[in-house]
Parts: sequence; structure tokens; C-alpha cells
Amino acid sequence: MQIIFNGFVTGIVVTLPALAITLLFGVLKFPNFAVGSMLTLAAYIVFTFNVLFGLSLLFSTIITAIIFGFLLILIDQLTFAKLRGSSSITLMVCSLGLGFVLENIARLMYGNNAKSFAIELARPFLFMDIRMNREQIVTIIVSTIAMIFMYVLLKHMPIGRAMRAVSDNPSLSLVRGIDSPLIIKWTWFISGALLTIGGVLIGMDRAIEPPMGSSYLIVIFAAAILGGLGSPLGAFVGSLIIGIVSELSTLVIPPNYRIGIPLAVIALILIFRPQGIFGKPNIKK
Amino acid sequence: MLSFIILMSLVICFSAILALALNFQWGLGGMINFGLAGLYALGAYACAILILKLNINFFWSTILSMLLVSLVCALISIVTLRVSEEDYFAIVTLGVGEMLRLIALNEDWLTGGALGLTGIPRPLSDSIPADIYIYVFLATYVFILLICIFLLNIIARSAFGRSMRAIREDDVVAVTLGKNLLWTRARIFAVGGLLIGLAGSMHAFYYQYIDPTQFSNIVVAYAIMAVIAGGKGSHFGVVIGSILIMILLEGSRFLKEIIPGLGSDQLSAVRIIIIGVGLILVLIYKPNGFVKEYRLNA
Repeated sequence: MQIIFNGFVTGIVVTLPALAITLLFGVLKFPNFAVGSMLTLAAYIVFTFNVLFGLSLLFSTIITAIIFGFLLILIDQLTFAKLRGSSSITLMVCSLGLGFVLENIARLMYGNNAKSFAIELARPFLFMDIRMNREQIVTIIVSTIAMIFMYVLLKHMPIGRAMRAVSDNPSLSLVRGIDSPLIIKWTWFISGALLTIGGVLIGMDRAIEPPMGSSYLIVIFAAAILGGLGSPLGAFVGSLIIGIVSELSTLVIPPNYRIGIPLAVIALILIFRPQGIFGKPNIKK
Repeated sequence: MLSFIILMSLVICFSAILALALNFQWGLGGMINFGLAGLYALGAYACAILILKLNINFFWSTILSMLLVSLVCALISIVTLRVSEEDYFAIVTLGVGEMLRLIALNEDWLTGGALGLTGIPRPLSDSIPADIYIYVFLATYVFILLICIFLLNIIARSAFGRSMRAIREDDVVAVTLGKNLLWTRARIFAVGGLLIGLAGSMHAFYYQYIDPTQFSNIVVAYAIMAVIAGGKGSHFGVVIGSILIMILLEGSRFLKEIIPGLGSDQLSAVRIIIIGVGLILVLIYKPNGFVKEYRLNA
């Protein structure tokens, strides 16, 4: 039970970044490898407000989410916007380069040493024979709220409907008068907020260091692919499955190779059900 | 200065072969390989382990490491059995590369862990006089590079080369015309794997010690930049691209004298930032490279 609970938390940490990847993939149609480094940079910005300026963690996260959303729009304008319409390989390579740049900006400014947020330590407590600590509870609550908010946004708000329309059929939505450049900006903004929260949760769980985001990259992608790239609900379910399975796997394989599990999941999914659990089969015309 | 140029040329030789491998898989075959760094490490480690632990001579260990990398590459390509999008392929190769790097880092008994493997002997270093050895070594490396270009040119113009390009341009049409997609892709990746294994072995012989830090994902960025700058699909262009990139890279070591007050950590961060920015700029402003791909004229 303890292991399943730990796996549940490990998985839920990944849900928000996986959701960001899935949204970006839906609207921009390429897997963004810079997401890991973006998450790192966001965590460092929160760290700056939280530790260096002494603001509370909640308040710093909110400020950063907004700043980082605009920052991502700016980055998009400088890089991906100039390559719109090129093949997805070009965009992937661009995102890889961008990932190097962002990760090393963080390294240049904050050094290689691991940092942590200014939160007081609390003793773990027992609930129904499961040991849990406060960070895990916060993670579950925050992620759940964010997921519900995202569900409402995508399902019932004009922005969310427009985002789904653009990701479904870009040219048709353009004909119907949806301003797709604006929607792309919104997607980046929302992804920025999701990545900031994800960065804070991962930073609370582990530590803040330059490779933190890129080391999660494969896990995040595995979660998104398992659920079906482009499907928000899938990202959620996929993350939980990956979390629980990789936590269970440490019973049999050495923890150094935990990344092997998401990788094996990706390979199996691609061979047996390429569209993922909740994705629609993609027929090439 | 002369010895610096010789060492640079040696580095350029095996970097160019690595870039040629990527060019073969990606530029000609249309299959991006983000796991290049891990596969390169596999080639170097396999060669070093065969020499140091099993006492196989340098020739056969190079051949065996080439075959091993080639086999791994072919297995990776099977994952694309049902998906034809490059997107998934990029993610899978990235993951495999990361996994291989982790194995190199964690299996101390085999790979020496973070310390790496030291004392890899250079081939024939006892039968060639030491004072001319470095020239013979360089001549051999250049010769190997030329042979690779020659063979790749033959492959690119063969029937296999044509079906590769057909699949790159439009896999659905190529399959409709009776090309076997999976088999062709496996072969593209396997041939590329041979070259990666060769480059890895040459890397091991050159440095004589290997550790996991030499095979970070930056290697992928170098190779991609070399391929794009040189012109995707053109072997000659890719070699020129690698020369340019290597000069740029080695040149950036001198940044330390220009910008004072940089620690070695910060310096390496600045260099990687430069590489990343360079990659993005090349993609935006020079996406077709300097040399065009060989085409049959009608």
C-alpha cells in the first residue's frame, strides 16, 4: 500500500508537465523537448522569489506562473514562431537547442549545486497505515485543483474550446474565425503556469538543480504518450500509471534504472497501441 | 601550433564520421536520432571493454563494436513498426540514449562508472616509431574518413539509396510502390549504427580514456548542427559542416581570456548556450545548409 501511495504521488507530480506537453503538442503539432528545461528555469525563478526575496512559496509561485507565461510567449516569438509551418523534425531540433540554452542559463546564474525552497520541515504522519508527509499532501491537492481547473477551462470556456478546435483542425478553425496566433499564445501562457506549478512540486519532492527538468523529460513524455499525445485526460491517467508502475518496479530492478520503465512503456505502447489509451487513431492521408 | 592542428584534425575526423552517420539516418533516411550520444558511448565503451577486459586486438574490437551498435540501432527502428511519425521516433531514441548513458554511469564493474576506463592503447603503438606515430595515426583517420564518404556515396546512388529517399519524402507513397518500410528503415538505422560504432571506437583510441561526461547530449547538438550547416543529405557538405563546427567549438575555449571572471562551470555553461543559440539561428536562417544534396538530373 505504501508503495502504491508513493507511486501515486510520483505520478501525480508528473501530471501537470505532461498536460503542458500534451496541450503544446495538440496546438503546435510537435513534441517539445525544451519542456524539461523550461520546468527547471521556472523552478529557479520561484526559488529566486521565495528564498532570495523572502516571499511565501504560494505567492512566489503565483507571480512566477504569470511572469513565466509571458516569458514563454516571448521565447516562442523568438524561436518557434519563425519556424511555423516547417517540418516537425526542424521544430524538435529547435526545441532541443532551446532546452540546452535554458538549462545552462539556469546553471550560469545559480550554479551547479542543488537548492531547495524555504519551507519548514514537517514530520511525516500516518493515515490508514500509510506514511505520508506534508509535501505529498500539498502535491495531491494542488495537482487535483489544477486538473479540475484545466478540465473546466478546456471543456466549458471559450479559450479552451478554441484551443481544442485549433488542435483538432487548424485550417477549419481559421476559416471559422478563430485567431490561431492568439490561441497559440494562450497555450504557451497556460503551459507556462502548469510548468511553474510542476517545477515547484518536483522541486519540493527532490531538489532544485539544473538537470532536474531534463531528467524528468522521458517520464513526462511516457505519461503523455501512454495517455495518447494530445489528450488531456490521457495525460492524467498516463502519469498515474507510469508513477505507480515505476515505483513498483524498484522492488525488482535497481532504482538507478527507473527511467527504463517509462521507456519500456513507450516502446510497448508504440508497438501495440500507438494512439495511446485515450487517443484517436491517426490515419495518414 | 602544429601539434594543435594535428589534434584538431583527428577530432574532426571522428566527429565528421559521427555527423555522417546522423546524416545517413536523418538527412537521407528521414529518421531523426536523438540517442546519438548514448549510441556513440556504446561504440566507444564496447571497443574499450573488448580491448581492455577481453584482450581482443584493436581491429576486431572495432569491428565488433560497430556490429553491436548496428544491431542496437536496428532493434530501435523496429519500434516504428506501427507509427510512421518522426515525433515518436525522436522520443524513443532520446530515451534509449539516456538509458545507455545511465548504464555506462552505473555499471562500475564493467564500465568503471563515473571514473570511466583508462589506458586504452593506441593501435600498433609499439611497432611504429613514436616520433612519426602521430602522423601515421592522422593519415589513417583521414583515410578512414575518405573511405566512409566514398562508400556512402555509392550507397546513396544505389537502389537502396533511392528507396531511402523515397521513404523520407513520402512513406505512404513509397509503401504503395512496393517498398518494404520496416526493412528499409531497419537497414538505414543499421548502416548508420556501423558508422556510429566506428566513430565511437576512433574516439576511444584518440582520447585513450573514456568517461560518461564525454557523451552528454551536447554531442547530439554538435552532430545536428554539422548536418544542418553542411546541408542535409550531402556527404561532402556534412564534412565541411563538422570542420566549421569543430573550429567554432574549439575556438570557444578561448572565451576564458576574453570574458574575465568565469569559472570552469560557468564557462562550459556559456559554451553550451552558444551552441544552442547557434543551432536555433542556423535552423531559422540557413535551414538548407551550404552544399546541396546530390540529385540525378532528368
